[in-house]
Amino acid sequence: MEYEDVKDELLSVLDTGLKFATRLDKSAEYEVYLYYRNVARAEIDQGVVTAKDGIVAGNAVRAAKGKRIGFACASGVSAERIKVSVKEALSVVNGVTAEDDKFEGFCEAKKPGRECKFSKEILSIGVEDLLHHGQKMIDEARQVDSRVKVVGTQCSASWGAFAVGNTRGLQRASRSGRNVCGVDVMSIEGEERKTASKYDAACDRLFTTEGLGEEAAKDAIKQHGAKKLDSTAVMPTLWKQEAAASYVLIGIGQGVLGRAVVEKTSPLCDRIGDSVASEGFNLEDDGQRVDGLGTESVDAEGLPQQKNIIVDSGTLKMFLFNSYYGRAFGVESTGNCSRGAPVFGEVTPYESSITVFTKGLAVAPGSKTLDELVSSVDGRAVLITDPPIGVFHSDPSTGQFSVVAKSAYLIEGGAVKHPLQPVSVAGQFYEGLKNLAGIGNDVKLSPYGPRCPSLLFDGFSVVG
Amino acid sequence: MLDTLQKCIDYGEKLGANFVEARYDDLTLRTLDRSDDTWKDIQVKSRTGIGVTCYIEGVSGYSFSSGITLKDIRAATLKAFRMARASVPSAKLKLPFAKAKAVKSRPSDTLRPAVHPSQRDLTFKTDLVNRMVQAAREHGANIRNVRGLYGELYGKKVLANSDGSEIDWDFLVTDLRCIVTSKTDAGALVVGAEGYGGSVGLEHYGKKGKTPDEMGQEAGSRAKEQLKAEACPGGKFRALVENRLVGVLAHESFGHLSEADFVVTGASPLTDKIGTRLGSDAACIVDAGTPDIKTYGGLWLPFDDQGVRTGLTTVLDKGVLTHYLHNRGTAQKLGQRLTGNSRAVSFLFPPIVRMTNTYFLPGDLTEEEALEKLGTGVYAIQSEGGQVEGDGSFLFIAIRGYWVEGGEIKYPLREVALSGNILDLLSHIEGATKDFEITSGYFGGCGKADQFPLPVGLGGPKLIVDGVTFGGQA
Repeated sequence: MEYEDVKDELLSVLDTGLKFATRLDKSAEYEVYLYYRNVARAEIDQGVVTAKDGIVAGNAVRAAKGKRIGFACASGVSAERIKVSVKEALSVVNGVTAEDDKFEGFCEAKKPGRECKFSKEILSIGVEDLLHHGQKMIDEARQVDSRVKVVGTQCSASWGAFAVGNTRGLQRASRSGRNVCGVDVMSIEGEERKTASKYDAACDRLFTTEGLGEEAAKDAIKQHGAKKLDSTAVMPTLWKQEAAASYVLIGIGQGVLGRAVVEKTSPLCDRIGDSVASEGFNLEDDGQRVDGLGTESVDAEGLPQQKNIIVDSGTLKMFLFNSYYGRAFGVESTGNCSRGAPVFGEVTPYESSITVFTKGLAVAPGSKTLDELVSSVDGRAVLITDPPIGVFHSDPSTGQFSVVAKSAYLIEGGAVKHPLQPVSVAGQFYEGLKNLAGIGNDVKLSPYGPRCPSLLFDGFSVVG
Repeated sequence: MLDTLQKCIDYGEKLGANFVEARYDDLTLRTLDRSDDTWKDIQVKSRTGIGVTCYIEGVSGYSFSSGITLKDIRAATLKAFRMARASVPSAKLKLPFAKAKAVKSRPSDTLRPAVHPSQRDLTFKTDLVNRMVQAAREHGANIRNVRGLYGELYGKKVLANSDGSEIDWDFLVTDLRCIVTSKTDAGALVVGAEGYGGSVGLEHYGKKGKTPDEMGQEAGSRAKEQLKAEACPGGKFRALVENRLVGVLAHESFGHLSEADFVVTGASPLTDKIGTRLGSDAACIVDAGTPDIKTYGGLWLPFDDQGVRTGLTTVLDKGVLTHYLHNRGTAQKLGQRLTGNSRAVSFLFPPIVRMTNTYFLPGDLTEEEALEKLGTGVYAIQSEGGQVEGDGSFLFIAIRGYWVEGGEIKYPLREVALSGNILDLLSHIEGATKDFEITSGYFGGCGKADQFPLPVGLGGPKLIVDGVTFGGQA
């Protein structure tokens, strides 16, 4: 399939699949989802090259009789492979008595939103180009300092589409693509190993490797000579953009998802209208941002993606829903139906049944530069520059977290003093948001989705 | 399928590849997910496809397809060859390897449990989950949510390569889990969890301690206990680390560092450390593809995805580093034997160096003796995952724990985070218990690069460790 006609081709086979399903058993209703993505990826890890190129393609079918639902999926998007899924999904429905009380049927069609702005230059990127870009980042990093011993790069380009339709007349498709480059540097001095990473990703332009290798190398090197914090105390912590983005993604991004809200595993589930963060904190999820990597015209069940204001001046305004959890909560879908967790690099979304996920989480910028945030600190504080170890293993339902900041610096007397040996930081995500002491104006896209500025929190326990 | 794959090996070699391997997966995955009274998911997945790796001068190219005709596989072979050829000039470090003796699979390479999941209908499996959820409700308190999960993954894995190997065996893993969320009077949410998974048939869920009723009861009771648990204090303490968490420690903190792709690049702190003492005598770590599943549990994996028969690799022997975990290229580069550790999460990915079953070996202490030896400190139990960095820094989250004083359990602790550097920790292991188990599963798994989730086995005894940093309240 080519980029120009991929949607039409998927919609055509989708129609065939739905017709087959209806012929097979008219007493059921069906939803068919097709996914097709052309992926090229090249990694250079300290000179070892790994190149991969192929088409990820698969289909998923949901069949329902009343409140009984079956899900089946299969690799491939041919009519034959869709038939495999249709038959399996039907056999599930016919084979169990278990009902889903909250299921009210598949969704009705609505006017779609817009696709992301896509640069067609991405279509022509091949593995050789990706290797060339990777090598450029490596050369740049190695020129910085002889302590830069280990450099790895990953470059990828992908494009494709998905189509979704159901027996209620909905048939939609959306098309997107992206290119991503990243560099990981390890600087070694004696037994001290320090790492740093840089990254660029875009759908509306070719990625830019320039400066990434050099920046990563410099960031790794400046962590050498780390000293012990040598204290256990409650103190402010300043989370730089990517670290802050990991906090936001886990610390509130998971708690506002419809599933956690309906199932009452989110501490936020009965807090609409309450103050859940400091006044300057504004959080949105924008599934229609022109250059958003999660932007599609429709979500994974075919409803339009949209922009949702989640927290406005510290007040919780809404949760994110697909049609299933929205109905269960008594509201409309917010266009957040997903398959799998795209921000964590879901490779085969067709293998996951529907769920709810963010499309383009973003924290609005504050007014202070990073330097101004640093100088606003009285006494001692810790600057955390990268996502701390363990943050993605924290449990959003309890909100309790304990992480280790490996790239950390001591702030004292309003200035960054020196790098620190790893420090443990513990607290409660939701309490932390209420203790926000400052929001940076330096919003940046993080590798796993959220756009976030630096955030200064008060009140976490730091052990070093 | 072996014939078709073999034709592509011939084709790839004619194109000019030094070595070609072609894989075919035909796997079925089933997930049952119940949340309170609602069945969130009853899913069946068919994962069928091929993957071809071509090697030229120790550089690889990989392509894949969900189409499985000869035409599809030849097209993938051509793509893989072209990528390998294009990559050769960029590869500053090449990892060539010599051909090995051809491997032929045997019927005994496929596990044949008493009750294979394909022999039981959906109702049997939903009943397992229902019983578990019911038991959790009966034994829990202040419950907000009960989640019951069942998963199975089984099917054919076929491989042919330039060695002339012909491998055809069946993969199997099943898993049953329960998660209970309760709410304290102060409004905080707490969690209790229990489960078991591995390369076992469904008869296993009738064994003592592994029935859905017992696992549901355990999850409910633990959530109830957590309602009165206290926050873990922050600081350095002695620790007794429970079997499942020890397994995560073996896998995450040490196992990844021993993967030879990190070693050949110099990224691992274990580089050039063979023969070096890294830990105490009580620190013994092994990776094995075919453990005694009936006795200890774990994952059955007789071959890796390069067609190498797995074995037992002692990575750390009484504290001394003895071996790395290899693919073909790294083994030749470092002059060590093949270990069968090249694995791919599915046909969509090339094989990379991964673990199989990684565990600490048991010692001779009973649990009571271990508590006595612990004296005062934290008893950390179960795992919610963990992470390790390239320098050996790690963080693991135990789902629950106890504060222990004078060898006696005093009170339960909430989620406990352990951190430190594995190379420090290994030298502070003071003893191991004699009870030993390996767990694996369908849910979760290992993530490396963009390949997740890969089923692995991990386990060990309980370990007593001095000087562990616990993140908690200051």
